Amino acid sequence: MRVATLSPHRSGRVYALANREWVWLAGIVVLMSIGLTILEPNFLSQFNFYVLLRGIAVTLIVAYAQLMVLVVGQLNLSVGATGGMVAICTGGMMEVWGLPALVSIALGLLIGVAAGLANGLLTTRTGINGFIITLATASAFTGITIGLNDAKPYYDLPNRYVEFGQGRIGPFPYIAIVTAIVGVLLWVLFERTLLGRQILAVGGNPRAAELSGIQVHRILVIVFVISAVLSSIAAIILMARLGSAQPSIGSDWLLPSFAIPIVAGIALSGGNAPIVNTALAAFLIALIDNGLVLTKADPYWIQFLLGAIILGAVGLNRLRAVREAKQASLS
Amino acid sequence: MSATIQAPARTSALELRGIRKAFPGVLALDDVDLVLRSGEIHALVGENGAGKSTLLKIITGIYRPDEGTVKVDGVLQSFGSPRDALQAGIGIVHQERNLIPRFSVAENITLEQPPVRNGQWVDRARMRQESERWLELLEVSIDPDQPVENLSVAHRQLVEIAKALSLRSRILLLDEPTASLTPHETAVLFDILKRLRDEGVAILFVSHKLEEIFAICDRVTVLRDGKEAALDRGLETLDRDELVTLMIGRAEQVSDFQQRDLNDALPALELRNVTSSAGPTDISLILHTGEILGLYGLVGAGRTEVARTIIGDVPLLSGELMVDGQPARIGDAREALERYRIGYVSENRQTEGLILSHSVLSNVAMTVWDRLANMLGWIQSGSERSAVAPFISRLQVKTPTLEQQVGNLSGGNQQKVSLAKWLAAETSILIIDEPTVGIDVKTKHELHELIWELSNQGLSILLISSDMPEMVQLADRIVVMVDRRLAGTLPNSRDYDEMSQKIMELIHRRADPPGTEIPPELLSAQ
Repeated sequence: MRVATLSPHRSGRVYALANREWVWLAGIVVLMSIGLTILEPNFLSQFNFYVLLRGIAVTLIVAYAQLMVLVVGQLNLSVGATGGMVAICTGGMMEVWGLPALVSIALGLLIGVAAGLANGLLTTRTGINGFIITLATASAFTGITIGLNDAKPYYDLPNRYVEFGQGRIGPFPYIAIVTAIVGVLLWVLFERTLLGRQILAVGGNPRAAELSGIQVHRILVIVFVISAVLSSIAAIILMARLGSAQPSIGSDWLLPSFAIPIVAGIALSGGNAPIVNTALAAFLIALIDNGLVLTKADPYWIQFLLGAIILGAVGLNRLRAVREAKQASLS
Repeated sequence: MSATIQAPARTSALELRGIRKAFPGVLALDDVDLVLRSGEIHALVGENGAGKSTLLKIITGIYRPDEGTVKVDGVLQSFGSPRDALQAGIGIVHQERNLIPRFSVAENITLEQPPVRNGQWVDRARMRQESERWLELLEVSIDPDQPVENLSVAHRQLVEIAKALSLRSRILLLDEPTASLTPHETAVLFDILKRLRDEGVAILFVSHKLEEIFAICDRVTVLRDGKEAALDRGLETLDRDELVTLMIGRAEQVSDFQQRDLNDALPALELRNVTSSAGPTDISLILHTGEILGLYGLVGAGRTEVARTIIGDVPLLSGELMVDGQPARIGDAREALERYRIGYVSENRQTEGLILSHSVLSNVAMTVWDRLANMLGWIQSGSERSAVAPFISRLQVKTPTLEQQVGNLSGGNQQKVSLAKWLAAETSILIIDEPTVGIDVKTKHELHELIWELSNQGLSILLISSDMPEMVQLADRIVVMVDRRLAGTLPNSRDYDEMSQKIMELIHRRADPPGTEIPPELLSAQ
């Protein structure tokens, strides 16, 4: 907070840097890593890093799927259901139809696009909040997932696909490459492109955006499509990592999808897209998970901790918003 | 002043002294007094933005004054919430609708004090009975079981009045209670108000309709620019022109803009018998190239709705829009900007004009992103800055950096940013809605100079304003709207007294047309 009061005298760049949460998030990640190393030297092992990274590779994309929608001030309850549906469909195409992996993946992504279009068009055409729409579509997607193969998984996936999912170079899983590319693309989207700016504007104030000539409904549909495609990508790399298409894929995504962007400091009212912070927050939450495993704590406590962390992060954001508002009204 | 305060023998029910209230960037009330006695109807008048609403909100506990005292029956009060004011016996008929749409009429009327049985169970039968009683008194037939959302605006207003009456408050505040009532409904209301007055209720009556004020009020307090221009004067000592002069005051320091005759310039924008779903009815006007056409009217006259119709924000029901002499079909703000180069600077800069949490840079660049992006949708870093910076310096926006959040700027600088956005967009027609509301005198002056300069450079400007001096100073011609229709078009002589007189005449001729007068027998005191 003191940084914020001093900063107007400094250059904008320094102000922006010092006031960014990523400094804090990165600091906490480093401190936690040191703490875990002291508690359990195995933390530094190559294999442990691999385990850590392959978890993050999936959850970070899931977090980005939710972030896309949070940026425009909406919620997407169907991130997990979309992932599950895409996993079962893609797995079925590989096993039942015997399609090549790349073709199946392309078709799987198209199913994701369709799911996103459904969410986006239903939300904009009806004017009903995305929360309700995606609550309904989540149930519908899950129904398709379970109905297609009587809730049974597909195991017979192409070898090279599974090898990609489980392979690694040292501590770096191949699937993390996908995540890194996704992260960079999203960063570029918001930093450098027309679409990214329009999305941020719609999130910041839809009415002002509309009056300034931005097609708000079109942007909202695009956002829901991007969100669903990200869910699909997460599902496709998770399938590769597991070596099977489980109908349960995505069922535990909802909580982290919110927790990670919130810890990253996203404004729930929309208008900001903390891409880098979200990556750091995904690390942070993975470290907590990993720490509990390494210290052999009861794994069920992770659920409790996630809840506590969300509350803490929301509380901190709220506190800061209130203080900033006070400062603004004083100046 | 002491000569005008001939304190009557009646006790003062409500007494405000030295009230001061500031908002960021605006001093809404500056050392304002108000005295309201039992058994009188007291008018509170003033132009838009004079501070009437703020004063009412202080009396009803919505705002706390920064300085000053509120006394009820001589006892010092410090209201922390509307409930406190209610318990002190103050009832209010709000200007903005304060009803719960999905609740029934009866539920709304008895909302504050629902009749209960056996201590806690809501007594629906009595709720209905009581509501019916008050509605009957107002001579209106509304089914008390109907949800309020099904009612017409006039009926909602009557329900609001019934609600305030049902509280049997000893102090009753009415904020523009007759805005949507018919003459008959108004007459019935006035009859009730007079009976209440004779029973000793203290009534504060806020209205723009001067005829009504002279018809039922005993005394008047006039606010102007957050200060009182007249305190507690007997209305019998004033005539209408004097009251108008008190409300408007003398013209402010005016930059002398010369008179221009642009009637021969090409029409940039023309409305032909335009009626839209937002209210404007049969509006015809011509904006010439390089002209500033003023659109004047009281709040609710439908001026902003005309602007929203032009930019395609609300659909046209009938009539025709012409841009540069060609028929134009404008579906939304994007089309208005991209095809016809029309921009709209909203009156609500915080809710419609700006993204407060975003930077000055993004806010101004919003309208030019399309132009800055290449075919792949890529925006070169730095291209935004070079597109925005010239306008920030030209408008002298005071901001430490272009990255500063717009929400942290002062009101005047925010207004400049929301204007800069449309200058950067290179519009040829600009609709500017209330550009100087809540803005300090110096910035106001700068904005006036800028608007004038822009029109001299060929920009055609439709200026919507409730600020009469601003209108007379800037506009080449003034179109006056009353009740969603045109009341007339006046060439501007730039003589303030003459123009304000003419405008007020137009407004009041339309607002109180002959034949719809309040029946005199209802107005005479019993």
